[in-house]
Amino acid sequence: MSVTTFLGDVLVVMINEFRLLRRNRTAIIISLVILPIFFTVSLGGASGGAGGHFTPTAHLAIAYVDNDLTIASGRLLEALSSSGDFNNLVQGYSEENAIGTLGTGKIYAAIIVPKGFEYGLAKNEQVSLVVYVDDSLNGLGNEVVSGLQSSLQNFSPRAGAGPLLSRGASQVEIIQKGAKFSSFNIGLTIILALVIVFATFYEVAGGMSRESEEGTYARLLVSPISLGAVMLGKTMYDLVLNLIRTFLVFGLAFYAYGARPNTDFGTILAISLLIALLTMGFGFLISAIGIGVRAVIIIEFFLVLFLFAFSGFIIDRELLRGISSTISYALPWAYGMEILRGTILIGRPLLTLIAPLGFIVASIIAFYGIAYVLLRLGRERLVR
Amino acid sequence: MNRFARDTTTVTVKELRQLIRDPLSLALTIMFPILLIQIFVVIVTAFSAPSYSIAVVVSDLDGSSTSKNLVDKLTSSRLIKVTQFFQTEEQALHAVESGAATGAVIIPKGFGDALLSNRQAFVILQTDNSKITSSALVQSAVSSSTQSLLELVSARLGPAPVEVILRPISGRPPTGDTFLPGMLGMITILGAFDDIVNAITRERERGTFPRLVLTPTSILSIYSGKISATVVLNAIRTTLMLAIFVLTGLVIRGNVLLVYLATTLIAVFTMSLGLMLSTKIRSSATLTILEIAITFPLFQLAGAIQAPELLASGGRALAAMLPWTYGNDAIRRVIYLGVGLDAISIDLLVLLLGSLVLLPIATLLSKRTM
Repeated sequence: MSVTTFLGDVLVVMINEFRLLRRNRTAIIISLVILPIFFTVSLGGASGGAGGHFTPTAHLAIAYVDNDLTIASGRLLEALSSSGDFNNLVQGYSEENAIGTLGTGKIYAAIIVPKGFEYGLAKNEQVSLVVYVDDSLNGLGNEVVSGLQSSLQNFSPRAGAGPLLSRGASQVEIIQKGAKFSSFNIGLTIILALVIVFATFYEVAGGMSRESEEGTYARLLVSPISLGAVMLGKTMYDLVLNLIRTFLVFGLAFYAYGARPNTDFGTILAISLLIALLTMGFGFLISAIGIGVRAVIIIEFFLVLFLFAFSGFIIDRELLRGISSTISYALPWAYGMEILRGTILIGRPLLTLIAPLGFIVASIIAFYGIAYVLLRLGRERLVR
Repeated sequence: MNRFARDTTTVTVKELRQLIRDPLSLALTIMFPILLIQIFVVIVTAFSAPSYSIAVVVSDLDGSSTSKNLVDKLTSSRLIKVTQFFQTEEQALHAVESGAATGAVIIPKGFGDALLSNRQAFVILQTDNSKITSSALVQSAVSSSTQSLLELVSARLGPAPVEVILRPISGRPPTGDTFLPGMLGMITILGAFDDIVNAITRERERGTFPRLVLTPTSILSIYSGKISATVVLNAIRTTLMLAIFVLTGLVIRGNVLLVYLATTLIAVFTMSLGLMLSTKIRSSATLTILEIAITFPLFQLAGAIQAPELLASGGRALAAMLPWTYGNDAIRRVIYLGVGLDAISIDLLVLLLGSLVLLPIATLLSKRTM
């Protein structure tokens, strides 16, 4: 078969895929609207965009109960109010009232300054601030404590005195280097990977399985078009869709939420397409096993869950132990996440990430190779 | 009315019988909550492990006995693993920049002298902040190592001057199980969505749905029957989840029947939305994909992982518009705070009203598309 015929066949398969997509309005909406836009908007809404500093506790009504009523406790209130972490401190509650009001939605936490707070500090004794939280709000306790501890770093109980902690633990100052990233920017790498994997796997594996169920795949196989042309045509079609999805996710993140990746768009596109190719290879492999659409969906759901748990979406890989760690290091998508973070957040050049790139490329070749062999065997069985 | 109840019961029994005959669907209904919970257990376990081996490199430019002491403290930390020592600051920083280590600790020249002469000393810590949790753990390890060194060098230093004590109003210890009630809510949503796929779209694909509609059974009875079957399945799923909760040591402080009521209303609302969507989306595969696509952002928006109150303003507005947020809120408050029906009545009302609005629309749309 000549190269021209092969490329012509690839183009035919690709055009056929687009024609099928055009006829399926729901698929267009899910694949190109709901997945990229809804996911990015949800992330932006939840994390407040990439530009501004967002503190989860800033707007929450939190009672400040001052049982000490001294200069030191007054200065603590000032320090908390001006920290940006507690913009809605409510005064006037007694300790009992504050605790009784928690859980009603009027206040979400109560910071109790104990009697003897100033005296204890003056005597260089340890004093305790008690924080009551409505723990039906998951995550609130940690956020309030973390905000308080950070405010206490700069708190001085008397005018003219140095920060409280410099008298003790922070005699050794830790100068922190390394770029800080907003939760939106970190979330963006997750959303991009999630959108690509989610949509691509279904489009390839689901599409092939559906064609098998409908009988059109068998007809395609017995046509003069080669199996390689079929796979490449479908791959090209899906690469175009992923190109659009990457543009949508990053366009929205860039213009609506102020995301500024530390790498050029070409690199982002290259990584996105690599992850897409990896997922497509896996999709072909799954469809080569000959399972139905329903099974494909079940596998897709667990694939995404696996990625959440083991690919560095939520937990950094070095925190996993035992079998979890082994799974993580065997999952090629985890290397995709590593590359996404390394380039988009840290700004490393793509070609410096040789090891993860090599693993992904090897996985793509392996997936496509095995899928090709299995699909070819299936075709021979069909022809016989 | 009698006929309506009889038809509804018939459809319910038929739905359950159909499920029992389909081993894959039945297995999924039972296994799905367990698998989902297992994944989240992996996540929580990773976050609460007693020790980690996060790669950190050290460059001790001081070389004094004090700085060696700090290096000892760092190497014996349970959170980090000192993988390499470098002669220069640049080499150490490069190790983080190239991804070889998550953190680099640089102890500058004069560190030991400064500490011993009671002057301010400093160390430089470079972290790879693209790894959120690991970088925070490295900071914590370095901070506790320096604190420990100070206690060793100067006996006069006591603990941190102001301690913050956290007291949850439920009286529970702050543990890693905060996500469990949210998981119950999410499994209820996913389960109900899956039921609708089984109940309507797959039946449409098999061609049995038009036949069912052409029987004297009213469309309202058909929908009520399918919803009732979901309510039964939801009760089974909820029981299974509550059993897992109890096995993991979670104490359910409130009335367990209220938990069932909340999950039932979440399931009915999800089912109503699913019925509406199924009038437009005929393919079971497409509907399933849409359901999964909708559900993943809900983990964040509907308060399954983190309270919606802690989201940015846009996220809070989105969360407030989603009836599932109220359902998750009700489950959490019953399980954690042990509140009664009056305290969660608004949450339940929102879910009920949502269902009452969607169900007639779904019936109307279904009649139109017949």
